[in-house]
Amino acid sequence: MDLADLPSRRTEAWKWSDLRAAMSNQESVLIGTGAMPAEGPIAALAEMFGDGYGASALVVEAPGETFESGITEGDAGQYGSVIVKAGATATMIERIGVSGSRLRPFLPSYARIEIEPGAALHRIIVQANSAPGDERDAAIVLNEVVVKLGEGASFRQFVVAEGSRLTRIETSVTADEGAVVEMNAVYLVAANRHVDLTSRVAHAAPGVHTRQLVRGVARKGGRGVFQGKFLVERAGQKTDAEMAHNALLLEEGAEVFAKPELEIYADDVACAHGNTAGQIDENAVFYLRQRGIPDTEARAMITRAFLLESLPDWMDEVVRAEVEARIDAWLGGAS
Amino acid sequence: MLELNNLHARVVPEDGPSREILKGLSLSVPAGEVHAIMGPNGSGKSTLSYVLTGKHGYDVTSGSATFDGEDLLSLEPEVRAAKGLFLSFQYPLEIAGVPVMTFVRAAMNAQRKARGEPEVSAPEFLKLSKLAATRLRIDSDMLKRPLNVGFSGGEKKRLEIYQMLMLQPRFMILDETDSGLDIDALKVVAEGVNALRGAGHGMLVITHYQRLLDYIKPDRVHILSAGRIVKSGGPDLALELEKSGYDQFLKVD
Repeated sequence: MDLADLPSRRTEAWKWSDLRAAMSNQESVLIGTGAMPAEGPIAALAEMFGDGYGASALVVEAPGETFESGITEGDAGQYGSVIVKAGATATMIERIGVSGSRLRPFLPSYARIEIEPGAALHRIIVQANSAPGDERDAAIVLNEVVVKLGEGASFRQFVVAEGSRLTRIETSVTADEGAVVEMNAVYLVAANRHVDLTSRVAHAAPGVHTRQLVRGVARKGGRGVFQGKFLVERAGQKTDAEMAHNALLLEEGAEVFAKPELEIYADDVACAHGNTAGQIDENAVFYLRQRGIPDTEARAMITRAFLLESLPDWMDEVVRAEVEARIDAWLGGAS
Repeated sequence: MLELNNLHARVVPEDGPSREILKGLSLSVPAGEVHAIMGPNGSGKSTLSYVLTGKHGYDVTSGSATFDGEDLLSLEPEVRAAKGLFLSFQYPLEIAGVPVMTFVRAAMNAQRKARGEPEVSAPEFLKLSKLAATRLRIDSDMLKRPLNVGFSGGEKKRLEIYQMLMLQPRFMILDETDSGLDIDALKVVAEGVNALRGAGHGMLVITHYQRLLDYIKPDRVHILSAGRIVKSGGPDLALELEKSGYDQFLKVD
């Protein structure tokens, strides 16, 4: 596999995130030999460059387990698999580049996750940067999970991402009967930052309940990408699925690209999707200013509330406070 | 207290040509008085309220507006608010995700900060809020909900007056506060408004109908037509209008 095997903007699934172009500047990365595996480029790169969780899968058997994986200095990314056994519950927190230390410029991470019948996994990703001009701007962050969700199992995910030279966080879920999927996210892209949130949920059996609410903000020179697909297979009767992506373009020159997709082969389903990208409501800003709140604060208040609507209520208070603090810092211009 | 002198203003829409709406409006509201502005649709009532509070999209082309002798038109909207100018909106905005009390406290503290006063303490704020809510018969649960989101027209208007009681402005502009209110709600709202009358406070009540003025009794009534005050008088003028309509005054122009 060499550079030419990586997806570029000519590849449909990567058209807004040209990995080949981004990687061509990464002199420190050597592309290995061998063909591109079926799992795709992130899996291939993670296997080559990532640290494994160990030879065997990480297995969660008890209820209420929490495990954290941070990708910071010294880490090269991760590759492995996770199994949440029937009846077990777990929370998985991934912090990418949050520690304040320098990141390696290239961070591929790939995991297969199996959530057995009746089990539950909560997954939180916090991907963040510090000041503009930081070396981490140059990082390429690739993160993909492929989730197999058993009967009556649940997978709830929340992502907050500030992006980098190129950040792509990809989530694919195949859900069995009566499973519950929730995939909310917030992205905040400043100048020269790129966040790509790509997801796919296959409703492969009856009665799957899926909710996705993604809220994003972009400043001048920042780029947000949302690609969300709900596939309802013939067997997916009584699927109840809602997808929403809403973005605020905070400045002229901000970019947001969105591709929401529904592909439905069953006839008795309730599926909805909504997608908006626009500017902050100036009438609302004026309303706040008329009450005495200065312009900058009024905008931050409206934007903050817009973003916080995506924060799930299951999130632990401490993590929630961390996420809110990141949003506040970003809105305050710290990022 | 509020002095408008030969004010000309245009509305500048984002798309489309600008139009002159105020065409030489002069008005003086002394401290302690309540003045009503009545006029037909399109006469410039809402434009006047937006020009005074500094909304974007309105250009003052000539004339002046002063508040306690200070030029109002050069100030940012939030500065005008901190100086005590309050607009009760005809159509209050919905602000998703911001609970009423959080918002009002932020507004109160922003104004205090601008005036160099200390922040309101939590117990003091709660006490004030409870008083205002009781006076306006507002359920305390409503104050925890996002501002105006899913509220009825009447609830929104009530909440405007709640904010007014909390912020204690010195000059209030009520833009069609009676619209969307049934008679009981109107009485409650008027009671709240009247609590803020008094020495040092001024008020401009913009309304289409006489009804509101039965409960908020004005000292003076002005008729606005085609961007100018065409007639001024005592409270009786409003009754006269109600009886015989605007037409007789519009011909004056």
